Amino acid sequence: MGSKGLLLLKGVAPPKKQSNYIFNYTRTRSSSWSSKTPIFRECSTTTATTSSLEPPDVPRLAETARISLSPHEVDEFAPKIRQVIDWFGQLQAVDLNSVDPAIRADNETENLRDDSPETFENREAMIAAIPSYEEPYIKVPKVLNKE
Amino acid sequence: MLSTLHHPPRSLSRFLPSKSKTRSFHTKPILSSSHPIIEQPHASSTSPPQSQILSIRHSLLSRHVTATQLAESYLTRLKLTEPQLNSFLHLSNNVLKEAQAIDEKIQRNEDVGPLAGVLVGVKDNICTVDMPSTAGSKVLENYCPPFDATAVKRVKELGGIVVGKTNLDEFGMGSTTEASAFQVTANPWDVSRVPGGSSGGSAAAVSARQCVVSLGSDTGGSVRQPASFCGVVGLKPTYGRVSRFGLMAYASSLDVIGCFGSSVADAGILLNAVSGHDRLDATSSKQEVPDFTSQFVSATLLESKPLKGLRVGIIRETLDNGVDTGVKSAILGAVSHLEELGCTLSEVSLPSFSLGLPAYYILASSESSSNLSRYDGVRYGNQVVADELNALYEDSRAKGFGSEVKMRILMGTYALSAGYYDAYYKRAQQVRTLIQKSFKAALDENDILISPAAPSAAYKIGEKKNDPLAMYAGDIMTVNVNLAGLPALVLPCGFVEGGPAGLPIGLQMIGAAFDEEKLLKVGHIFEQTLQDCRFVPPLVADGFAQ
Repeated sequence: MGSKGLLLLKGVAPPKKQSNYIFNYTRTRSSSWSSKTPIFRECSTTTATTSSLEPPDVPRLAETARISLSPHEVDEFAPKIRQVIDWFGQLQAVDLNSVDPAIRADNETENLRDDSPETFENREAMIAAIPSYEEPYIKVPKVLNKE
Repeated sequence: MLSTLHHPPRSLSRFLPSKSKTRSFHTKPILSSSHPIIEQPHASSTSPPQSQILSIRHSLLSRHVTATQLAESYLTRLKLTEPQLNSFLHLSNNVLKEAQAIDEKIQRNEDVGPLAGVLVGVKDNICTVDMPSTAGSKVLENYCPPFDATAVKRVKELGGIVVGKTNLDEFGMGSTTEASAFQVTANPWDVSRVPGGSSGGSAAAVSARQCVVSLGSDTGGSVRQPASFCGVVGLKPTYGRVSRFGLMAYASSLDVIGCFGSSVADAGILLNAVSGHDRLDATSSKQEVPDFTSQFVSATLLESKPLKGLRVGIIRETLDNGVDTGVKSAILGAVSHLEELGCTLSEVSLPSFSLGLPAYYILASSESSSNLSRYDGVRYGNQVVADELNALYEDSRAKGFGSEVKMRILMGTYALSAGYYDAYYKRAQQVRTLIQKSFKAALDENDILISPAAPSAAYKIGEKKNDPLAMYAGDIMTVNVNLAGLPALVLPCGFVEGGPAGLPIGLQMIGAAFDEEKLLKVGHIFEQTLQDCRFVPPLVADGFAQ
């Protein structure tokens, strides 16, 4: 392509105001999605970022997460999910270059027990909880390869 | 004495001065005084709360009352208040039997544990072998775990009686219990308002004295915010202090089991019972557990400035715009009280504070999308019959999960997708490092940090249901503590207008990692010296002794 190097922005560029605020929400009961009164202080970074990430494709996400959604649910969830993901996007603007990611809070190591099997003492209760059981198998329907 | 802040200290001069208010109660008692509940002969309407656990132990060992009488008294109150509150999803059938067993032991002069005869509520995302554990979700409706969570096991070993499983937002995702698949719990202070969440049932149950203490879980504030809304003490321990074995995981790097009590001492005694390393939880800490119960000194024995020299940092970012004036007022009243106790107060700024909220939701959604993948209708839970395996998964999950849970799983799936991991999850982890560092710096200069537990008092049921970001915003005070893995104590410190008798406001105290001892000591002294404030909701009989 020419020198313009078009970045095809499928992603929604954060609305001009939104990248400067930590948080926007309305206090009224109406569920409007536009940003209104800023409630918290402005973020210290002012660079607006445009996202090159694709916006959430809700049907595809539902397939990945193995949850079937009705068309009504897709319509209902998509704007809410998009709004929250846009809100997540403010982390793009923060300078995190020399910061190590923290997996969790603690720093203790070597908390693993020996890798030796133990018999669980209440197998009957476990088996009783299985929806579809045909001793000694947990029964599931056939697997079809989707193409 | 709560004094009027005429001259706010220099460091706090940017805040408005507050006036303290003496609360008078207009209660509608619903129980007659013939029920044999623990009576303290000198209790007045404004005396500080006594430890119910210690009173119970004293009364049982001195044969003043039996465990059975005590259990009957609590069960009567529970049954009278439940239709209005809906705190419980399941009630135990064995309460009186267990109480009887304790009475027999006492009669035989055998030792009984420190929690003997104490009725304990357990949040329904914590596994109990003799009662269903649904996590508030249809996907686990009627599921009966084959084991007790370690925390439950320890409560039982010490003589505690699990009275029932309390209501919650499904899988811990929510701040009001409105996301429970089964029922909404009401706030005992005003039944048209939410009790908070996700441990709303556990908080309401203790607030309404349906049980003595209860266990909840806190991933982003789910013990502390309901404690504030319901006017009870909520204790979130350090990550790793209490075993998570048997707690249905929401976000594994953030979840902790926490304690509710009507006094700091009771929350501390319960924490003592459940803390400690567990070989079944690889994230549980090997740090030694000090005896949390050894420092609950009677108020009469305290010297005049019992907290002299304690450095307290007020987190500046938590008293900004967006926090109700009434909440600020109550917190400033608490500040003034801490000063009278001898504390040195100053303002502290935590850089990156406001980034904690999106970072938290990225991490929590991502981890929950992974943790909830096990609910597939195959080995447990509700199954939707299908011809083909994927359809079985998809339909069982679709039918079993509520909307909020589905949305968070989808958001988490997005954030963890190939190509997006670096942009979201990894960045959120980096923000977590920044937040940990800023807390550590602040706690190097201060013994504890304080803030409100929530930007407002309890709001009306239905008010925030359709606006996810509005609901998430309410977590701003609490999530950073989970990201840093620190302990925090919330205790009621004042009121705002609303409901029949005002609405309680909680003060949050944050400590250094594994320093629950200091939090409990400070919290206990604060509570025992707080005058003219009594946190018993109007739903409960007036004259109920503390």
